[in-house]
Amino acid sequence: MNKFHLLQFHALLQREILEHRNMFIMAPAILAGLILLFSVWAMTRMGQDTVSISIEYMALLFDGLSPLEMAPMFMIPAIPFIGIFYFCAIIYLMNSLYQDRQELSILFWQSMPVSNLNTVLSKLVTIGMVAPLFYIATMFALYVIALFWLAILGWSYDIEVAGLGYMFLAAVVSLIFVYLSIVTTALWLLPTIGWVVLFSAFAKRTPILWAIGVFILVGFLEEFIFGTQFLGNFVQSRSTPTQYLILDFQDVVERLINYDMLFGIMVGSILLAGAVYMRRFID
Amino acid sequence: MKNIILKNRYTLLVTVLTVYIVVLVIEGFITGRQAQVLDFENPFFDLNIKDLEGLRERRA
Amino acid sequence: MSNIVEARALTKTYGSLKALDGINLTIPTGAISGLIGPNGAGKTTALKALIGLCDVEGELNVAGMDPRAARHKLMEDVCFIADVGILPKWFKVSQLIDYVAGVHPKFDRIKTGEYLSTTDIPANKRIKELSKGMVTQLHLALVMAIDVKLLVLDEPTLGLDIIYRKEFYDRLLNDYYDGDRTIVISTHQVEEIEALLTHLNFINNGEIVLSAMMTDLADIYTEVVVDPEQIAQADALNPIHIRELLGKKSYTFESVPKAQLQPLGEIYTPSVADLFVAKMKDSRHE
Repeated sequence: MNKFHLLQFHALLQREILEHRNMFIMAPAILAGLILLFSVWAMTRMGQDTVSISIEYMALLFDGLSPLEMAPMFMIPAIPFIGIFYFCAIIYLMNSLYQDRQELSILFWQSMPVSNLNTVLSKLVTIGMVAPLFYIATMFALYVIALFWLAILGWSYDIEVAGLGYMFLAAVVSLIFVYLSIVTTALWLLPTIGWVVLFSAFAKRTPILWAIGVFILVGFLEEFIFGTQFLGNFVQSRSTPTQYLILDFQDVVERLINYDMLFGIMVGSILLAGAVYMRRFID
Repeated sequence: MKNIILKNRYTLLVTVLTVYIVVLVIEGFITGRQAQVLDFENPFFDLNIKDLEGLRERRA
Repeated sequence: MSNIVEARALTKTYGSLKALDGINLTIPTGAISGLIGPNGAGKTTALKALIGLCDVEGELNVAGMDPRAARHKLMEDVCFIADVGILPKWFKVSQLIDYVAGVHPKFDRIKTGEYLSTTDIPANKRIKELSKGMVTQLHLALVMAIDVKLLVLDEPTLGLDIIYRKEFYDRLLNDYYDGDRTIVISTHQVEEIEALLTHLNFINNGEIVLSAMMTDLADIYTEVVVDPEQIAQADALNPIHIRELLGKKSYTFESVPKAQLQPLGEIYTPSVADLFVAKMKDSRHE
């Protein structure tokens, strides 16, 4: 690993973001815009009394709590963003090694001195670590706007707004938790990601049908040959949403350094290695 | 060996999937995992009660 | 390294179709080698194989490497331009240059800037907004700023206006080719490039039917406008092609000493285009 490799990887990540700016930049921005519009509309409907009572109630609710303790609560407004992100992530992964083969651009990409390994890695890092940052940044901007807006409201309605500072801090901490949650989720779901990316590289058409179809087929074969349903069990063990949440900094170490996580990463890597080699077959 | 595995996309896929399943099955047997998936009880709504209780404790 | 490309017994089958049928291809360093053939002859398959974009059977050595195993390493020394249209459409021109600058260790972005300043290509436009000719100009501007040993061009001027075509080959010869670099060009328009080439290869139905240095062509191939009385003797010498020329018959011979042919009529060296037709219709092989 030297300076050139880092520069090259940076260029690869930049390409991914630019190529998918609709998913990573436009989508969260539009969502944030809609939320703002909805909030303005809701507040005008609620009337001054309801608004000032709500603000006072919130201040009471969080009284005495540190930002760290408040933070998990602030992850709730992030849910729509996370939902949109995961929807986009599925599409992104499905197309990651498929779309450029459908267009002619694969001939250009492959004429550049970028190894298949770096190609695949750059797409994983993009979806697991870089793209979420754009969503986080959008949410942050939204919270800043909310902060100023509530402060002005509170000042004009003459309510105590000292607590707003702590709430903002809690919101920022919650964004860190959201980001960590997404990254640990990505690692936890590496086997699924690997499966999708493998078929993205393999399929000549309709990769999603291949991914699902072969999954069902392999499941049957496993039952037939070994009499077990470990595949199904394995997949099921990675589908409960609450497993993925980081609600405390201690959670991070627990979730990353445990046998199931490490086994999943190892096994997912088998599929990803397959995807890397699969890139040799592009016709 | 490499020539056979990398002969075409189909041989590669079959090899990768075979290795994958064999590893899963062997690991399942070694670690004594539940080999059968029982009644598929809506896993998407499986709230993990332990986690929630732990959260309340930390808040108090 | 005297031969930058050495390929032996290259074979590629698509289902029941043999795109390449055990071809041998040698390209010496510093050559400008043409690969001429009709549509579907296997030109594109052969060239893609050289860059590892197509999985083929056989022995293949390009710039000392096997393209199938080390494509990305090979791409530091080899550049590829296909028929117009492979540059990613959503990239802005400036972003594309940034990308190549980031991933290619031998890219000199100042050179690209210099080449581009002689064109009308705006840095802010997306590739999809550029005309076909501009896209080729851009691709060439990128490629010429990369210090590679081998340039592989697959019908690079297909569908372009004559102005762009002429400019393309001018740039290629004057600014890029230095005697050490090697260029391989495929096309089905012979006349356009025959003046550039140092080596000539004809390909048809997945087979190489001619492979020679341009300077040797005159020695190997002779065209004779045969006097009517000599037709029988001419037939006996096994011509590879016969055609009508202004009421007389013109015979093309391969590897027949000129001394034998002189008594038969007026002898010429066939143009590359005529030679192309002659080899494609080589009656001995039918």
